[in-house]
Amino acid sequence: MSLTPLPRKLTAEDAAHFLRRTAFGATDAQIRALAGKDARSVAKAALAFDQALAPNNPFDPMQGASPGAAIQLTRGAWLFEMVYGPHPLREKLALTWSNHFVVGTDKVRNTPALLGYLALLRRHAATSSFERFTLDIAQSPAMLRYLDNDQNRKGKPNENFSRELLELFTTGIGPYTETDVREGARALTGWTFVGGRGNRQYLDEPKFVFQAGQFDSGRKTYLGQSGTLRGEDIIRLATAHPQTATFVARKLHRAFVADTPDEAAVAGSAETWRRTKGDVGAVLEELLSSEAFYASRARIIRSPVEFIVGALRTLGQPTFDAKTLLNLTSTAGRMGQLLLEPDTVKGWDGGREWINDSTLLLRLQVAAALTLTSKAPALTEPPSLLAMTGQERPAAAVLLSSLKGRQRTYMSMISPEFQLA
Amino acid sequence: MTNRRDFLKLSALAVAATSGMPGFLARAAAQAGGKKTLVVIQLTGGNDGLNTLIPHTNGAYYAARPNIAIPKKDVLTVTGDLGMHPSLRPLMGLWDSGKLAWMENVGYPNPNRSHFASMAIWHTADPTQAQAEGWIGRLAEQIGDPFCASNVGGSTPQALRASDFSLPSIESIDNFQLKLPDGMQTPFQSMLNSPRTGEAAYLTRATRQMLKNTARVQENAKKYKAGATYPQTKFAGQLREAARLIAAGVGQRVLYVSLGGFDTHAGQRAEQDELLATLAEGLAAFQTDLERQGVAGDVIVMGFSEFGRRVAENGSAGTDHGKGSVMFALGQGVKGGIHGSSPDLEKLSDGDIIYKQDFRGVYAEALTKWLGLNAREILGGSFTGPGWIAS
Repeated sequence: MSLTPLPRKLTAEDAAHFLRRTAFGATDAQIRALAGKDARSVAKAALAFDQALAPNNPFDPMQGASPGAAIQLTRGAWLFEMVYGPHPLREKLALTWSNHFVVGTDKVRNTPALLGYLALLRRHAATSSFERFTLDIAQSPAMLRYLDNDQNRKGKPNENFSRELLELFTTGIGPYTETDVREGARALTGWTFVGGRGNRQYLDEPKFVFQAGQFDSGRKTYLGQSGTLRGEDIIRLATAHPQTATFVARKLHRAFVADTPDEAAVAGSAETWRRTKGDVGAVLEELLSSEAFYASRARIIRSPVEFIVGALRTLGQPTFDAKTLLNLTSTAGRMGQLLLEPDTVKGWDGGREWINDSTLLLRLQVAAALTLTSKAPALTEPPSLLAMTGQERPAAAVLLSSLKGRQRTYMSMISPEFQLA
Repeated sequence: MTNRRDFLKLSALAVAATSGMPGFLARAAAQAGGKKTLVVIQLTGGNDGLNTLIPHTNGAYYAARPNIAIPKKDVLTVTGDLGMHPSLRPLMGLWDSGKLAWMENVGYPNPNRSHFASMAIWHTADPTQAQAEGWIGRLAEQIGDPFCASNVGGSTPQALRASDFSLPSIESIDNFQLKLPDGMQTPFQSMLNSPRTGEAAYLTRATRQMLKNTARVQENAKKYKAGATYPQTKFAGQLREAARLIAAGVGQRVLYVSLGGFDTHAGQRAEQDELLATLAEGLAAFQTDLERQGVAGDVIVMGFSEFGRRVAENGSAGTDHGKGSVMFALGQGVKGGIHGSSPDLEKLSDGDIIYKQDFRGVYAEALTKWLGLNAREILGGSFTGPGWIAS
């Protein structure tokens, strides 16, 4: 059954919770502005984003003097968008999808391919058709390159994309066989791209092409269907599989509800997914206004990027020079989350995996840099405890209130409460 | 006001006094004794075993790989039928002195071609994938010391996960310490002492454990001076940090280092050649360093990958996911040579080699013969290894 909607108007803590999950965090004023509103309309409004980008983004990846520089600029531009952009939920979703349809800059070094991929994640962030989203991703030069489907040819199959399409992007392990992987690879032969290869062409735009001469037009059987299946058929069959609804809905729950999701709630979203034939926007709207969502407080350990963006948004989006913002992207990398470069195609597992001695130390150091050092942004008024911890009266409230402005901000930023969303 | 050292001591006491800690953390670590260290090397992505230890007299090998086979003239011959990849030349001295072992044809029942499922099987030592804890996490529970095993690198692999937390990951020893601003120690401790539940309680525990671990490392790490020049790779840098921990006598029994990038679906020769060179150059420097520190007799290295590659090359001069593969080990405590028989390349299962040695047997020997632990308890069964530990 679908998820039960939240019956009450949002309290201040409800509003803080919603903004921690959907906007990386917020100021006290932004939180108070949502309090008293109806959960459904709040979710609808947050999801009604357009494709407008932050003004005055100082990073232009196309100005990169080398592939490596262009990639760094891409990361900087994305972090800027998350911190200062008009649609934090769109960026949070793009981040989530980048951890689902994973590509990595260890292999994808072409700038327009990376930018095209990011634009797809934004355009489909709350997509009405997961099938269309998957097809667009499958035909994006970034993915074709990352999982080697650009080299998948008739009689010379390369199984890399075909395998991950099932294992990681749609059904998850279980509903398919090794034969499905091989037959899928045959159906995806001939999907490749032209242009934009090599270090000297890293600014040239690559384009998807279907090379009919490299396509294996023979009969295939895939997930129980037989015929002269084509790549489009494989994408349709994989995305329409009933397990895909559960598998991808679980990922949305991990991004928005809990590191260890409640399976009954996942089943509720999966049912909505199947009923709407993969309308992710509808699934999200229901999820983000549900009782289950509002009941799940402090159950997600913020990722390194969420920690940094959350800190900056909670501090009221202070201005930083471009170099500092670039440094923050590499700091997030040392904390375990280098944008656009997860360790493997599975992406970051998240949750408790974010936390170890080294990464915890780095979180403490970042908090100090943002609050205590001479380069820390000026604070006319320290953020409220509600904005920092999500609670109006956190357990450490007495201690925290007795500290002076900057010290209070530092101490609440390194508290377990701030690490959680 | 307490100074930093007192603060850390207080924190350590607080750890032992907190009932929320997993039981074994509060127990004395007396039985942790023993000086022997096992260094585990993970080759992430599925290293192609056939192009690592090459059957250079086998026509079926060359027939299956017209573009990517290692030409016989380039192979570093080690036996009549087998030879090492040319990038492994830095390890030839170790081979010649009997300190390098290859375990042939290692795998597990019902092999899984998913990177992640297969890696989880190697991490948990459980081919049914029922366990969430890692084999090194269980080892730490048996020893009763949460600091007896560490990952060297950014994120902790599942192998080091214990029932309620992960063992430490140390990226850089110099940065592995907390420098709280003046006057913040007491508020920090009070803040940690607030009552919490769920993930907040987990983070509190992790922070306390971090304070304890960092203090222990810093106390010891000053003693080390590198005894070898390490290559300028991240992997070699991590091995240098491992050597530093060993030389400092911090007491870790297992150290874990990963090298990624072995998922060679296309253009394999260039990629794997470079990776194996990184591996061999790093390990050779590590071994030299340990010898100069006078601790080489107490350390062995054991390397694995989650699976090997398909026997036949694919159409992109690469290889797709396969099944069993080779493992390697090196050190004075290792019985050098080839252990086990090479895979039969004429008799395949679905295009893959058919494994003969269960990897849990290889682990079992490291646990019992090297670390002196109860392997049966850690691995959940009895497994026979190929006799790769000396004596």
